[in-house]
This record gives sequence, C-alpha cells and structure tokens, in this order.
Amino acid sequence: MNLYEFEGKKLFEKHGIVTPKGVVVRRGDDARMKIEELRIKNFVVKAQVLSGKRGKNNGIRFCSSVEDGVAAINDLFKLNISGQYVAAVLIEEELSIAEEHYLSITYDTNKKQPVVIYSRQGGMDIEDVPEEKIEKTWVDVRSETTPYSPPSQGGDTSSGRNDSLTPPYEGGGRGWSSVVQSLWSCFLTEDTRLVEINPLVKTADGQWVAADAKVAIDDDAFFRHEEWNQLEPRTMMGRLPTEREVAVKKIDEGEAYYRGTAGKYIELDGDIAMILNGGGASIANMDALIKAGLKPANYTEYSGNPPREKVYQLAKIVLSKPALRGLWMAGVVANFTNIKETFLGIIDALDEIKPTYPIVVRRDGPESQEAFALMRECATRNNFNIKLFTKETSMSETAKVLAEMVNAVTTKTV
Amino acid sequence: MSILISSETNVLIQGMTGKEGQKAAKAMLDYGINVVCGVTPKKGGQEVEGKPVFDTVREALAVIASDEGAKQSPRQEENGEIAASPSAPRNDNWVAVVYVPPFAAKAAILEAIENNIPLINIFVERIPIKDTAYCLAAAKERGVRIVGPSSLGLIVPDVGRIGVVGGPLVREIFQPGSIGVISRSGGMTNELSWIIRQAGLGQSAAVHVGGDLLMGTTYADVLRLFEKDEQTKAVIIFGEHGGSYEFEIVELIKNKEFTKPLAIYIGGKFAQMLPEGMNIGHAGAIVARGQGATEKEAALKAVGAMIADTYEELVKLVKPFV
Repeated sequence: MNLYEFEGKKLFEKHGIVTPKGVVVRRGDDARMKIEELRIKNFVVKAQVLSGKRGKNNGIRFCSSVEDGVAAINDLFKLNISGQYVAAVLIEEELSIAEEHYLSITYDTNKKQPVVIYSRQGGMDIEDVPEEKIEKTWVDVRSETTPYSPPSQGGDTSSGRNDSLTPPYEGGGRGWSSVVQSLWSCFLTEDTRLVEINPLVKTADGQWVAADAKVAIDDDAFFRHEEWNQLEPRTMMGRLPTEREVAVKKIDEGEAYYRGTAGKYIELDGDIAMILNGGGASIANMDALIKAGLKPANYTEYSGNPPREKVYQLAKIVLSKPALRGLWMAGVVANFTNIKETFLGIIDALDEIKPTYPIVVRRDGPESQEAFALMRECATRNNFNIKLFTKETSMSETAKVLAEMVNAVTTKTV
Repeated sequence: MSILISSETNVLIQGMTGKEGQKAAKAMLDYGINVVCGVTPKKGGQEVEGKPVFDTVREALAVIASDEGAKQSPRQEENGEIAASPSAPRNDNWVAVVYVPPFAAKAAILEAIENNIPLINIFVERIPIKDTAYCLAAAKERGVRIVGPSSLGLIVPDVGRIGVVGGPLVREIFQPGSIGVISRSGGMTNELSWIIRQAGLGQSAAVHVGGDLLMGTTYADVLRLFEKDEQTKAVIIFGEHGGSYEFEIVELIKNKEFTKPLAIYIGGKFAQMLPEGMNIGHAGAIVARGQGATEKEAALKAVGAMIADTYEELVKLVKPFV
C-alpha cells in the first residue's frame, strides 16, 4: 500500500531523517487557521496523492501570503492529479535549497535483494535522469548497514571514488551517509517495499532535509505492524474507496487472514459482476470478458481455498452493486481450492439476493461434481437464468456465452 | 530425463500437521512420490498419512538417516556409528515443502536451508517480502534452489509431483509428453496443462513458480532447465502484465541460452486502463507504464517467441514442434 507524503515523512522522522516543518489540511478544515498555525511567511502547499507526477501536474504551489495559500489549497482539493484523488494538502516551510539529490531503496526483483539508488540530479523523475548519473548499490537484506553508512556503523566510504556519482560523504553524525543509514533502517524496520526521497535537499545552511517522501508498505507484514490499523482506507482509482471496497478488505483481516484470499474487490464502471479465481486466470479473464464485448462491474478474485464464510461475504458484496446485467463466475480447474466449499458460500449469497440477470459459471477441481449439483439445485429453486460449465469448455468460450445471454435479455426488453 | 525431481526424490513436509499440509502429503503420496516425514515444532511423535512427524528438520534427517543406515548395514548400527554421526548429511535427493502460516515461514525456510536441503518449495502465500528476501539471500549462499513463495509446486508426469499441482484430477490432466509449462499462476499451470491434454499431447514438466514480487525460481531459471532437458521439445508460458520477469526471457533468448520453440500469452491488458502503481492480480503484479502486457509481447516477439492472443491458443502454436 502506498502512503501519502505526510505519512511517509512521519516514518522518516521516526528514523532520524529531517523533514520540513509542516501541517496537514483535510477537506473541510479551516485552511486559513492551518496556515496561520504554521507561522511561516513563505510556504509550499502540496496535494497529497498516492502516485503520479505531482510537480508536473500543478500539484505543488509556492505561496507567500495567507490569501495565496487559502486559494491554492481550495484549488488543489478540486483537482485530480494524474488520475489520483487529493486526500489532503500538506503545508510546509519553503526550504532554502542549495542542492537537490535523489535517494531511494527498493527491492530489485532481478537480483532479489534491496537496491540503494542515488543520484546527484534530484528533483526530477528518476526515469528522466541519464543512466550514467545514477548509482545503484545492492545490499544484502540481512545486513544492518549499507556500504554508504558511516564507517563507525560498518559502512565503507573510504574507497576514494571521486566522480560525479560519489555521494557527498561528510562524516560526522548528520551528514549524507547518516541519512542513508536512517533510510535503510526505515526501509527494514517499517517493512516497506519502497522508500524514496526526491528531492533530498541540502539547504543553504548545509543541512540534509527530505523534501518529499514516497513510501510503499508491504501489506503482508501487517501482522507485525499494529499501527497500520490507524491508516485511513484508500484506493488508487482516483476517488475515495467505495463502501463495498472497504467492506471486502475486512474479509481477509483477523487471525485466519492467510487461510485463503477473498478480500479483493476493485469497483469499475461496467455492469457485469465478476467473481473470478486466482491472480493469473482472473486478469486473463478480465481481458476475455472485455473481448467478448462486455464491461466488468468490478475486479474480484478469490483463491487459496478460502472457507465458505469468506466466499459468502465476498459474493454478497459483489452482487450488491446496483444495475448489474450479468454475473460471470469463471475459474480454472483448481488444484486444491475445494469447489464444493467455496460454491456453498456463493450459493448462500445467491439464495439471499436471487439475481434475475444471466449467470454463467465455469469451474472445475476438487469436489466439483457435488458443487455443481448444489448449484443446479440453487438455480432451480430460484428460477435462475444460468448456464454451468466444467473444464470441457474453455473459460474464454463461456465469456462469449454470457455476452449472448446478456444481449438476448437486452433485445427482449427493447 | 526430468527436471528438478526424479524417482529417487525424498520429500519432507514442514507444517505437515496443518490442514493444507495434510492435503499435500496425501496428494504427493497418491502420485507416487516418496513423502518420508514431516516437521511441525512441538508435534513430534504424531503421524500424518502414516508418516512420522518430527519437531525439527535436523532431528528428522538424523533419524531417517540412521534408519536407512540400519536397513543397509545393520552391523554399523550395532557399534553405534551411524546413529552417532549424522552431523554432515548429504541430502542430495531431498526436497522440503513448506506449508506453515506466513508468520512462521522465515524460520521454517531457514531451517531447511541450514540443513542443506537442496530444493525447497514454498507453498505459503503472503510472506512479508523482507522475510522472502532474507531467505533468498541465505539460499543463494548455500546453493539451495527455492521454488516459490506462493507456489503450488511442480509436476513431472509419471515421475512425481511436489506439492498439489493437478489436485485430485491430476491423472486426467497430466500425461508424459514433450511440452514444458511455466506460470506464476497455480490455476493457469493446471489449465494450460489441461489444454495440452485436450489436444492429445503431454507435458514434460509443469512448474508453478509463484506470484510474489520476489521469487526464488523465475521463468528464465526454469527455461534453462528445459533447454537441457531432452524430453522437452517446446515450452508454453502464461505471462502477466506485472513485474519484469518476462523481460528476463527476452535476454535469455537473445543470449541463446534458450533455443527451443516458446509460445507465451501475456494476461492483463485491461490493466493498462488502471493507474500506475496499482496492484492487480498476483502480489507481484503492479501496473507499470512502459513495461505492461503490450510492451512485453512486443519485446518477446522481437526475439522470436510466439505470442498467443488467448491462452487457449498456446498449445496450437507449439503443436507443430512436438
């Protein structure tokens, strides 16, 4: 999950990285009061978004009066920054900048270890910095320090490299290398996937300050980070998360969180409810549905043999979206997900909601005969317009079948 | 010839007493692979599917080694040498499969690595990435291969299976043949294998490499094994929009490290409509501009891989070569 800048900066501060003095403004807050609270003449107001090129998209404004600031804040709340919803605005002191550098740590999937990325050319997107101006240093995740760390902490800055890549090693406690060490400890102890400071500013008085913070936390480590419960719900869909999205996320919480996954739901613009299976087949089937001329109402998949109750909750929420015109339940020949157990969860939801639109099911795997018999009984007692398929018919084929059924209904109504 | 496993393979299941661990034990025994024992801390002395459970991997290997020694040379056991010297066991044919909860995964995997088990299949989903990276670093140091995390395992038809690939329908789906199958999706590993079988063909091996951001064995790693495997005449892959592992295949083909016919399908074109940085599909599938499904197809096509429009087409593309 991506953090907002102000959340990321709190983590940085916790690990000893200096950040600008600032205050967060929420929608509905008194912006004037917040600016006055900061008591600074020259300040910056920054849209708080989960991703995207904020600077290039007018999401950062420099202000020199309270009036300017209030106007800028009101304006930012009206914007979507490269498709991202503005959740808050951060007001910060304007730094007196001498140099702008770039510093980040993330996992290199190719080398399967963390990589520290550094450039003297900060302040712009790292993709736009020429390759020869970027220094990458791979670090064993088991190490408590990086080669950039101060020598007293096991780092190695004695090699005498002296080209344009050489980080400005300054020794002492508050130099560049201690920023790297702090970021490394933040990266590890906060269970992040990415920590990025861009720009890492050297101020006119020689202090290193993180002017921005991009942090992605690793959702799978939530069991050792109770504090993450306090983070507000969010989505990258350019709006607030819907009630359904928030509700589905809760399904996989709690002690049995790892017993099957059923907590995935992204609300989309279409009208075909999707209950898919598996992270791979589900994305291929999204493509297949669109190819068949239909529009998905959501992206949802469950996998890993979740219990009946989890699937029931998921199906109930998926089917609660208004104005649906069809339901596609498409899954592979399962390896170990029990089809009977999971279908029972879906049947529980279908018995409650009793959809009148066309339904197509394609699935196979452990105990699928029993599962399909139960599904047929459910269809009969509810008089569903439903077609059931097992492994003899391919998943894509059944998307076409659903398209025909949905179109037939539409034609009749017209 | 087969990749990764043979008829000599011995399996140890970490977490065998759990619900999925028990199912895995049964699945492997049913398909004729030698599940020797299980390990669950504090549950030593129990049995699953008639196989003993030990508290630690070290204890399990020592007891099994001394039993084997007893069978092969009872005289040595009499003077106590075998039982007393399990210190440096060669565990060449051993595979550890890990079926523990995610918060216990790191300790379990490290235990297998420290005991020199050369192949570890991690079934566990939702392991924190830091723990995975830690285990991968330790494994690399010891020359241990990890398949996973989030991997249902692998199968070499009629030789054996590691994990639960194929489920109870395994004999309807798999038969020996010459097509290799690789996917980050467990379901699609099975589905592609089924399409092969429907076409009257068989598989040389099917490997589910797992859907996490970091993985122990990548598409490219498995392709290197298929390149050397005489039984394999062609390979099909179910690729995905997220991650950059498909680009490793491009490099592999460019460097002529993989020269056999390869057909690949890249799922998730719709993800291009979603904002950059969004995660959809597998844990490792994050929308990234400039390296999505379309760019992957183009790069693979440029080095001669056959691109399937739908995953159902994959088998048609390789059929002339097998």
